[in-house]
Amino acid sequence: MKNNIIKKSAALLVIVVAYLSCTDEFVNRDPVYSIDSENYFNSESDYFNALIASYDMLQSTYANAILGEIASNNTLCGGESATDVVGWQQIDDMIHTPVNGNLRDIWNWMFAGVNRANYILEFQDRTDFPGKEIYIAEARFLRAYYYFELVKWFGGVPLKVDERFQLGDETSIPRASVEEVYNLIESDLEFAINTLSYTAPQTGRVTKGAAQALLGKAHLYQNEFSLAAGVLDNLILSGPYDLVTDYNSIFENEGENGIESVFEVQYTDVEGAGFGCLQCSEGNVAVGFSGVRSYDGPEFTSGFSFNVPVQDVVDEFEAGDIRKDVAILDIEAWALATGATFGTGFEHTGFFNRKYLPRKRSANAQGDLNLTNPNNYRAIRFADVLLMAAEAFNRSGIDDEKARQYLNRVRFRAGLGDVTAGGNALTDAIYHERRVELVGEGHHFFDLVRTGRGTEIDGFTANKNELFPIPIEEIQFSNGNWEQNPGY
Amino acid sequence: MNKKIFYLLFVFTTFSWSQTLDLTGNVKDKANNDPLPGVNIVVKGTSLGASTDFDGNFVLNDVPTNSVLVVSYLGYQTQEITVTNANPLDILMEEDAESLETVVVIGYGTQKKREVTGAVSTVGTEVLDELKPIKVEQALQGTVSGVNVTSQSGAPGAGLDIRIRGISTNGANGPLVIIDGYQGDLSILNPNDIETITVLKDAQAAIYGTIGANGVVLITTKSGRKGAKTKVSYNSWVGFQETTRELPLLNATEYALILNESYAAGGQAVPFPNVSGLGVGTNWQQEVFNEAVPIISHDFSVSGGSEKIAYSISGSHLYQQGIIAPVKSDFRRNTARLSLRADLSDKVKVNTNLIYTYLDRDAINDSGLGSVLFNGLNAPPTLSPFQSNGDFSLIPSTPGLGIEIINPLAQIENTFNDFDLKKLNGTVSLDYEILENLNLTGRIGFNTTNSEGKTFAKQIDYGGKVFDVPRSSVSQNAINDDSYTLDFYGTYKNSFADAHNVTFTVGTTIYKEFGNGLFATGFDVPNNDWGFADIALANGAPPAGAITVGSYQYDERRLSFFSRLQYDYKGKYLFSAMLRRDLSTRFGPGNRVAYFPSVTAGWVVSDEEFFKESSFMNFMKFRVSYGILGNDQIPNNGYIGQLNGEGTYVFDGTLINGVAIGQLPNPDLQWEEAKKFDVGLDLKLFDNKVDIVTDYFINKRDNLLISNIPVSGIVGVSAPGGAAPTVNAGGVENKGFEFAITYKEDISDDFNFNINYNLTTLSNRVTEVNNSTGFLEGGSFGVGQPAISRMEVGQPIGYFFGYQTNGIFQNQGEVNAHPSQIALGADAAPGDLRFVDTNNDGVIDPNDRVNLGDPIPDMTMGLNLTFNYKNIDFTAYAFASIGNDMVRNYERTLTDVNRLNYVLGRWTGEGTSNTIPRVTTAATSNNVFSDFFVEDASYVRIQNIQVGYSLPQDVIDKIGMTKARIYAGVNNLYTFTKYKGYDPGASNGAPIGGGIDFGFYPIPRTYLFGINLNF
Repeated sequence: MKNNIIKKSAALLVIVVAYLSCTDEFVNRDPVYSIDSENYFNSESDYFNALIASYDMLQSTYANAILGEIASNNTLCGGESATDVVGWQQIDDMIHTPVNGNLRDIWNWMFAGVNRANYILEFQDRTDFPGKEIYIAEARFLRAYYYFELVKWFGGVPLKVDERFQLGDETSIPRASVEEVYNLIESDLEFAINTLSYTAPQTGRVTKGAAQALLGKAHLYQNEFSLAAGVLDNLILSGPYDLVTDYNSIFENEGENGIESVFEVQYTDVEGAGFGCLQCSEGNVAVGFSGVRSYDGPEFTSGFSFNVPVQDVVDEFEAGDIRKDVAILDIEAWALATGATFGTGFEHTGFFNRKYLPRKRSANAQGDLNLTNPNNYRAIRFADVLLMAAEAFNRSGIDDEKARQYLNRVRFRAGLGDVTAGGNALTDAIYHERRVELVGEGHHFFDLVRTGRGTEIDGFTANKNELFPIPIEEIQFSNGNWEQNPGY
Repeated sequence: MNKKIFYLLFVFTTFSWSQTLDLTGNVKDKANNDPLPGVNIVVKGTSLGASTDFDGNFVLNDVPTNSVLVVSYLGYQTQEITVTNANPLDILMEEDAESLETVVVIGYGTQKKREVTGAVSTVGTEVLDELKPIKVEQALQGTVSGVNVTSQSGAPGAGLDIRIRGISTNGANGPLVIIDGYQGDLSILNPNDIETITVLKDAQAAIYGTIGANGVVLITTKSGRKGAKTKVSYNSWVGFQETTRELPLLNATEYALILNESYAAGGQAVPFPNVSGLGVGTNWQQEVFNEAVPIISHDFSVSGGSEKIAYSISGSHLYQQGIIAPVKSDFRRNTARLSLRADLSDKVKVNTNLIYTYLDRDAINDSGLGSVLFNGLNAPPTLSPFQSNGDFSLIPSTPGLGIEIINPLAQIENTFNDFDLKKLNGTVSLDYEILENLNLTGRIGFNTTNSEGKTFAKQIDYGGKVFDVPRSSVSQNAINDDSYTLDFYGTYKNSFADAHNVTFTVGTTIYKEFGNGLFATGFDVPNNDWGFADIALANGAPPAGAITVGSYQYDERRLSFFSRLQYDYKGKYLFSAMLRRDLSTRFGPGNRVAYFPSVTAGWVVSDEEFFKESSFMNFMKFRVSYGILGNDQIPNNGYIGQLNGEGTYVFDGTLINGVAIGQLPNPDLQWEEAKKFDVGLDLKLFDNKVDIVTDYFINKRDNLLISNIPVSGIVGVSAPGGAAPTVNAGGVENKGFEFAITYKEDISDDFNFNINYNLTTLSNRVTEVNNSTGFLEGGSFGVGQPAISRMEVGQPIGYFFGYQTNGIFQNQGEVNAHPSQIALGADAAPGDLRFVDTNNDGVIDPNDRVNLGDPIPDMTMGLNLTFNYKNIDFTAYAFASIGNDMVRNYERTLTDVNRLNYVLGRWTGEGTSNTIPRVTTAATSNNVFSDFFVEDASYVRIQNIQVGYSLPQDVIDKIGMTKARIYAGVNNLYTFTKYKGYDPGASNGAPIGGGIDFGFYPIPRTYLFGINLNF
């Protein structure tokens, strides 16, 4: 009996010891080799690394650029068939609805950019080091850039300043007014202008010139012509930019980041990409989509034949305009001249957006080659700045002479004679010049809309199609907090 | 008088007691006449006893006359023999395997089958022997009710998915696998090493708490038997494989005529002005499929034991080539295994088991857009596979053929990869009977796995296809995965007053899995040749800024305490209760702990007084169980924000990498909770010849862990490397009925048979998707089309969402009378599909999409037959799946690709067809996702048929063997189905997006011949 008790005690002891030896402490472990997002920004390099990620979202603006053309009367959607990228097809036909995955991409990607910039700004006071204000200024420029895209596409959007959006904000933070969005954009850009210099520490980073150009553009979009004129004129007069002589060279690889480039989105083809995450591509996805279907021949490579220019925009070029053959590839003529072969896709017009066609690639190019074209997107060219300034001076009524001077500087490079008109005729001349100078660069839809000419687009409904609908999913997520744009 | 007789009897009896006998005897196995060594013979009520020697003989002296001998042996029915004289005894022992006393593994212990109160099914060695599964999962298809197995591909070594009682979550649905007590991996085990597979389907699995929600598969591996003679067994078979199916495609002439019609209808010049002489052209399927492709299996085992030790040693080799690209796609598995059990003392027993596995798998692209079969189905038959100079012909990159379809033979030729895996897993356990009724078990089980993968991207130009590789590279990886399971538990077992039986188990389990992976890519492989494809030689500089190396690590842990009380009153009223407490690193510090309770009860009605013993009804038991289980299978560290996103840009023309936030955290993450209810009835009828098990179950899964749940884009989750948080936001309910019946009959000594039929019904419904849109999407269709699979409240999980059709427009009048279909991409014309305006708003648009079916079968059935006549045995296994739908998505809907021959029945004018639309190169809406692409994939499959012949006993006795059998059979003999594609039973296994057919690699039909030899 006694023996039994000892044994029982021993058994109990073993069990107790075993339990104690594995207390809940066992599961207290830190994730291995990972960095906690809330305990970062402890050195200059931390800020720099986060800044790179803020720039990263610029690459996803390929969608904004190609869709800015497709939505306009410059191009048709094209592609393989009527159902190839349905969201783009619907926008081309102006029959788009809030159910549109491609519009949702733009919403999601631009807000991702806002949040990445805000991530830095949220922690801007955590660590000090000399030159930090440069990083802050770049982050603020990028936030302004992404918000500018959002306000262009969707009108007033929810704002959050120097803080990341959190889950649940969609049901509590209202859509700000368009004016409020622009106010934030302007203050961010003014900070960048006052902080940055005209030369960037590295090619591809934001300069004072870029901030000035974007600020001028933002004023122009609000019809604040004199404000626009002021900032743009300052940029033209004191900035280091100029028009390159050879218009054609701008859009070739060698022409990237040239003297005419005020702001340029950087791409490369050294990293592969796939359809599963187009925004992850380090290449310009729009270029592959614009390429000639089944093309085999010199200079270019093939693509998916989207974004095909229509006869109307080809006819917009004046006789002798050297820009026409740079901007528009007449594939039939090209094939005849070079022996190239090609296929025809949906809505084949025979024309392609030559500025952003895929060029022959280096051996370093990684697949899927259609998604990794390295063509930089020339977001703001000096020619654009000149034309914006011309428009600002003309439409503000401040100085038609100066407007003509800037307009004719662009025309001269194109091999065309001076415009002599003034007033409204000059305004129309500037509109015409913007269309042909900047065709294929993603600006035309918004130029039409902001100048009240949206109805030039087939199927355009005034007081509706000026803005795109907030994605249906977002309206649902907001649970009544956000109202849909008018007409949708 | 009476008194006298009584006294007389008393005297006689007393006299008898005083008599003793010296007994000798021999014990044999009734089934095969093998002598049984180590059998215990005890005189009842005394300590007198003996055990048999190696020849089954025993001697027992001084046994009182009329004593009762109790003859017992593990795994055999215990016999009682009254001895009245000293004649030598010949005792035949009958195996216990099928009796009610069968012991079932239930997790941290065993239970007599008659006392099991949960829904538990088992698969034994016989089934594994008969089915000849290459992978263990296959043995569960059709043999166990409530279990469905789908194959991801028929390629050698491809994965299979097990679903127990339906699809309950949008996340990981695979069951927990426990091998001899430790958490393991079913997919690489050698089926020949398995003694039994036990499937816990209901709340019985609650002893596994947070990991048991998807059901539990318990594997018991083979071990030797104490005191058994050494048994040597050798099994070998060889098989020849072929495809079960070739899809009926157009031949070259038919293809050309269809193209001409299509081009003409689209207003384009016909591509084949002269079709004469085209003949049948190339049959690409025949080009890629091979016949009589070999598969070979050998396994060898030695087992036996002495009084204190039992051992089993085995080795196996399997080699399978693919029916597509036999050389480039093959699977090799070698295993070695050692099992050792020893009684260190009467009270302490040690049990070890070690398995070493080597796998070598080479694979071709066998799924999705870009697979070899996809190319084989879409390549034009007018094109010869080879050019006149012997090179592979290129498939032109015309718009009509797109840029994704390449010559499948060239694709095979240019595929180079290798995957090797080495794994050591096993367990050591120690049982200590510390007191008569108290047993302690300490056990450690471990898995340690190293794998290496290599893929060579050969520099290749297919002529402007997406698969062109401008620069050769070789990518290699090395991955280590380790885990251990440490158990410590005590079991107290006692009976009180011969009526109250109590078993109490309490213990703890510590589980840790940890590992790392290293990846790297080298460029410019010398000579562009697989023989030189290694990073050691591929020393071309990577592009500036490109990161060509990567790694990951993980360390996940779980700590569990559990207890189980089992109580029964005379084996008649059965009750058990379980409680488990789990902590897991998958959840944040505030939510780490969870408790999982469950109860089960049973009533053996047939033991009641009122239940008269009858030959009709031998046994009847009601069962009921309810419990809460958990699921924690989500990505690691979902509760903290990490900088593991992608932030990469270009400065100074060079790629530069920054840091970005990855998946958004959800600090409130909690367990997925499964509430399982089950009622069951077990019956044995007609002298135990008929065995019926029925169950009705309701499984409710709440708090579903939805990874990357759609959330508002303003939080920035769609940035590269970003993801929405994992949120507990859904619910799914599965209800069903299971029925299994076995009928066994020994007609005569020469003839017996065994029929087993089982049926499972399943009804699946999503009860909650709490993300404000009310649904989740997945699964792709065609190119550039929206996702087609949904998880939505009130619908089955993963149902197909698209347009309903209502015939074909026969004329323009019908088109005009119907709402416009322009919103789908093109105006309708006669010959086009007519889509239903389901919401009657006068326009056909995305709002008209409805449920078009789902990939979940309404019912599955298994039928297994075994006949033995003299020395001939015959088995057949069949499986049926009813009501599962599948999406035909292997057609690249371009103008110039080849098509299935159903297109020959297309609409060509009024009245010609009301099901298959016209062909045209013009824009139509016929290719948007509609019920035209959804097919009923119900099927009946003859899984296995086998005929064997065993040499007669007297013959094999002479040559010193105990068994010699030869057999021939066919695996996957035939599938009856209306489904047009290769394999109606295939799925990628995704809960949302499963059942979409990109041209599944069919499971081969295998003709096999084999031998079984036992010594």
